[in-house]
Amino acid sequence: MGFFRKIFQTGEGQQEKASGPSVKEPQQPSFLKLSANIDYLTKALKNSSDLKVRILNDGKAALLYYESLADQEKLQKKIFSQIESGRWEEVLDLPHGKHTENLEEALKTLLTGHAVYVQEGSTTLTQFEVTSQFNRSVEEPINERVVRGSHEGFVENVMININLIRKRLMHRDLTFQYFRVGKKTNTNIVLAFMDGIADPNIIEQVTNRIKSVTSDAIFSPGYMEEFIEDAPFSPFPQMMSTERPDRAVANLMDGRVLLMAEGSPTALVLPVTFFMFYQSPDDYNSRWISGTFIRLIRLMSFIIAIGLPAFYIAIIGFHYEVLPDDLILPVKGSINEIAYPPIVEALIMVIIVELIRESGIRLPQPIGQTIGIVGGLVIGDAVVQAGLISNLMVIVVALTAIASFVVPSYELSTTLRILTFPLIFFAGTLGFVGIVFGMLFILIHLCKLESFGTPYFAPVAPLRIKDLKDTFVRLPLFWLDKRPKDAKPVKSKAIGESREWTKIERQQKRK
Amino acid sequence: MKDSRRGNNSQPRTNTSRPNGNQKNQKKQKLSRRQFFFVIIQTQIGVGILSLPYDLHKAAGKDGWISLIGAGLVIAVLLILIWLLAKRFPDKHLFDYIGILLGKFLGKCVSLMYSVYFIFVASLVLILYVRMINIWILPLTPRSVLIVLMILAGLYIASSSITVLARVYTILSVLLVFLIIGFSYVLREIQLIYLFPIGTEGIMKILQGMNAGAISFLGFVVILLVYPVVKGTDKEKLWTIMTAHGFVLFFYLFTVFISFTFFGSEELKLVPAPLLYMLKAFEFTVVSRIDLFFLSIWIVSVTTSFTSYLYMSGIGFSSLFNAKRQLPALIVSAFLILFVTFLPGNEEESIIKFSTWISRGGYLFSGILPIFILIIAWVRKKKEQGSESSC
Amino acid sequence: MLKKGWLVIICIILLTGCWDQRNFKNVKLVLTAGFDLMEDGQINTTVSLPTILRSSDGAGQERIQVVSAIGRTPRDTRDKIDRKISNSFAASKLEVLLVGEELAKQDLYPPLDVFYRDPRSNLNAKIAVVKGEASEAIRLKIEQESRISKYLGGLLQAMENTTHSPGENLQLICAEMFEPGQDFVLPLLRVNEEASLIEYDGLALFNERSYTGKDLDQEEAVLMMLLNGQKGKTARMTFKVREDGKQRIMNYATIHVYRSNSRINVTTSGSNVTADIKLHMRVDVIEYPKNHLETVKEVKKIKKELKKQLTQKSEEIFAKLKDTNSDVFGIGRRVAAYYPDVWKQLDKKNYLENVTFNPDIEIVIQQHGIIN
Repeated sequence: MGFFRKIFQTGEGQQEKASGPSVKEPQQPSFLKLSANIDYLTKALKNSSDLKVRILNDGKAALLYYESLADQEKLQKKIFSQIESGRWEEVLDLPHGKHTENLEEALKTLLTGHAVYVQEGSTTLTQFEVTSQFNRSVEEPINERVVRGSHEGFVENVMININLIRKRLMHRDLTFQYFRVGKKTNTNIVLAFMDGIADPNIIEQVTNRIKSVTSDAIFSPGYMEEFIEDAPFSPFPQMMSTERPDRAVANLMDGRVLLMAEGSPTALVLPVTFFMFYQSPDDYNSRWISGTFIRLIRLMSFIIAIGLPAFYIAIIGFHYEVLPDDLILPVKGSINEIAYPPIVEALIMVIIVELIRESGIRLPQPIGQTIGIVGGLVIGDAVVQAGLISNLMVIVVALTAIASFVVPSYELSTTLRILTFPLIFFAGTLGFVGIVFGMLFILIHLCKLESFGTPYFAPVAPLRIKDLKDTFVRLPLFWLDKRPKDAKPVKSKAIGESREWTKIERQQKRK
Repeated sequence: MKDSRRGNNSQPRTNTSRPNGNQKNQKKQKLSRRQFFFVIIQTQIGVGILSLPYDLHKAAGKDGWISLIGAGLVIAVLLILIWLLAKRFPDKHLFDYIGILLGKFLGKCVSLMYSVYFIFVASLVLILYVRMINIWILPLTPRSVLIVLMILAGLYIASSSITVLARVYTILSVLLVFLIIGFSYVLREIQLIYLFPIGTEGIMKILQGMNAGAISFLGFVVILLVYPVVKGTDKEKLWTIMTAHGFVLFFYLFTVFISFTFFGSEELKLVPAPLLYMLKAFEFTVVSRIDLFFLSIWIVSVTTSFTSYLYMSGIGFSSLFNAKRQLPALIVSAFLILFVTFLPGNEEESIIKFSTWISRGGYLFSGILPIFILIIAWVRKKKEQGSESSC
Repeated sequence: MLKKGWLVIICIILLTGCWDQRNFKNVKLVLTAGFDLMEDGQINTTVSLPTILRSSDGAGQERIQVVSAIGRTPRDTRDKIDRKISNSFAASKLEVLLVGEELAKQDLYPPLDVFYRDPRSNLNAKIAVVKGEASEAIRLKIEQESRISKYLGGLLQAMENTTHSPGENLQLICAEMFEPGQDFVLPLLRVNEEASLIEYDGLALFNERSYTGKDLDQEEAVLMMLLNGQKGKTARMTFKVREDGKQRIMNYATIHVYRSNSRINVTTSGSNVTADIKLHMRVDVIEYPKNHLETVKEVKKIKKELKKQLTQKSEEIFAKLKDTNSDVFGIGRRVAAYYPDVWKQLDKKNYLENVTFNPDIEIVIQQHGIIN
């Protein structure tokens, strides 16, 4: 109980703190005099060179915009075409203009790429949306490829991302909320959820946490993640990032919340469970039997990725009795003349694999592949030939590395590879007993971890047998009629009677 | 603020324990009956399991399994009494109502006794576990390392709420299935004839065996502490308690059965850890010496029952000092356990003496005292009236 | 709490003593061991230690070292061997344990005690009795077989598969050693020095814990195993079914036991114990050089003859058992279980003499191959 109380209280405290500064939005009524208005704005914008001030109509009006943000064509179409035809008065009343009398507000819109039209003798400032957009085309995200299914991915523009979501989810309950976070960067953060499915408590929690962030700069959701997650010291990711709109929509429909930021193609899904990281859109696009099979393999890879080197070390260093009779001499033969103890062997090998991986990512692609080959084949072979590392250890570590890459999520894959180390140490110290304790600590940690008040290791702990239908296995979709309960959806029914037609057809046949 | 809500809510909510129930008040999490079930069995199944067949055989010869059934039945009756006691106070656990029933001073004394008892049981668990590990796999590893690891694991589980504890227990129970499957493999080599002739060891020996059997069930005292936080009506909870007891009895019987029929009466006298010993003799094509794997699984079972006792003594201490937070109390008990663990030394004789005393204490704390408290509750007609008085 | 977890890990790294680490590369594996009794009562242990030399591609050459030592107890000899070899002696992957005839004739438990007591020992090791000295078998140099453990292990496994031996391992005989009224048999091996081979030579009959010196020969072994309901993967027996063959070879038939089922029923009247052993077999005739099994009559004849022979042979087995009081069928244990009062009166040393065995063997010939 105390645990929850603590969370609850700190949540309240943050709320108070957050509501303090946000109330005091700076206000500055506009002046009647044109020059005063222009002076105020240019001064506030530090006379930046890319700020253009076009004096129009013989000094009676002016148009301000950032040439770096504004789109010349739009400017032409929206404003200058009117001006050229000499209808000065109508500029103020153009339908796409937005009026304000607050200079501070005009300042903000200028920064987002609007043009501001100011007239002598009028306190009305008219803002026109002329933002230029440089967008990457919507492509398949490289790190979340699927075989079948949508090949669209999020881009750096949050509006396009929202568009991608809205197109997939045409329902009035789909809600987006904007936040400006980062005192200097003014990053636009978007919270998306399905009203009526997502748990309002979670939305409230997320809102509070976002509001309480007072950092100067927020660049991406990854930044937000560390500010708002429950247990920042945990090795496990507590939000899932995705670049796939279809995955985002599926999660919205599970009653989860989506967090997106301007300038980043990654959306964060929360709250998450551990097993969500093992689900891939591919599972749902392929037949359920193959989906289940692949998912089981992925989950098995979890055990292999964190436990295999430790297990091997425990056997070689402590309990070689468990090797069956037929295996004992081949194993003995391969490790007999290795200079180092198994734990050192394992550490060297694991670090070599990490080095190869990291250099492969950083280098340009053609060279990266070469590194993979040089590292993997040449070093692997030479190290065995030299008798530094046994060929079994090479197999074990390579298998571990492969297994860790099976996870569809990059964050979790890194976590797995980090978790290998403590287990290696445990196994090198206490053998099987060490592994048991190491695994136990990890398991307890997973059971304790909560992501926005929902248990992280659901539906296994706490056990919800109904939700297991889509955890270790992926049963046919029409059986997954209830939403998983970990996100505490308000409405749990997701699918009604969908295969009634089988009965009807059978009846018809009988007739 | 939250506590008062708990008091009000628990009464009407008892029968709406359907999945929807836990949506609204997530802050006040309760255990489901399934979790309750696993908390009970994980507390009961622990260190003793490996040597239970030996102990039974030592006391009652080859009729040990009859003693075990007898002990199971006696405990079942005791469980009903304990349920009657727990049911009287739907919102309070043992340490809360001891004070109400016995008066402040006496209540505190009994609470202290209980906490100390839990600490001793926890250290006994540790002693036996370390001993087993030292004999079987890690003869040179210092005892303190193994003990500290276990205490840390226990603290880590117990330091958060009971719900987390129950979650961990539930998921770890999968391992029991592995144990059962592994032991079933032995069924190929058993000889039923070793059980015959049935019932020739004499009533006295069978009764003595019941003593050994009853000790293995002693963890059920956890019911008195967990009962109030479990969802469901009293009847449903009784059903859970009984199924848990039935499961444990079945599990014990199964292990006793296979070790009796595998070893035969004469060899069993020589083997203090028959369950491990018999697995030692099997080899599969992929692995051999599965006893080492089972020992590892067993460590987990030990951790859970150790954690239960640690948790219970933690509750005891925190209610003794009216502490709001439980963590300090837990740490204090962890240190006390650490201290007590080193008391009996490493000699077999003193360990046996220690364990005999503690199992005698078990009768007092799991049997006599709860019944005594129940009688007092009956006599003084103390009963919690729904939501009227809540902590 | 997580900080605490990290603390544990750090502490452990710092404290890493690897107290119990026994690096696999630093041990000398003992895969075969043999015990012999010396004349002064000491134990002579002979072990074979394989060493594999690493080569760049896969497992390389294998060398075998045979070491023996004489000491007061098996553990003592182990320590003595340890002083003669590089690295340390590890018996935890023992595959085959051979016991010399003379040692087996004494109480078998004492030399095995060390295996039962040590948590690391491999109780799954196969055990066999060697006619003569066990060390001879281990020292035997066999050109074609790379190592003796593989040879012996394979031989014993094959004998188990062909229903020649019950496949006892160290653990399984333990219960039978201790349990009164139940005895066991171990495969008996003989060293053939000239051919440089080791041969299976039947089953050594044990009484209580010691070898009686009497054996069942190979054919009796199979039948005994079948009577005891311990059929391996295959079981074959050859019998002389007629006398009138032109050549000697024509008198014989080999049967393959397809499925067998045996039931032992023990009854008592007073202190007389009767054991009814019912054996039901479904067999295939897999060799019958005389051929012409066309008629039902012919088949019936063979069947009748087989039954006669099997019964006769089992009587011989029972006679041997009675002679040695080796209660392989566990008759005594059954009496103790179902008639505890009778058991109390029986003479535990020689009770088998007075047991009446009634074998009842039923066979069904279900096929005779793809020709008649």
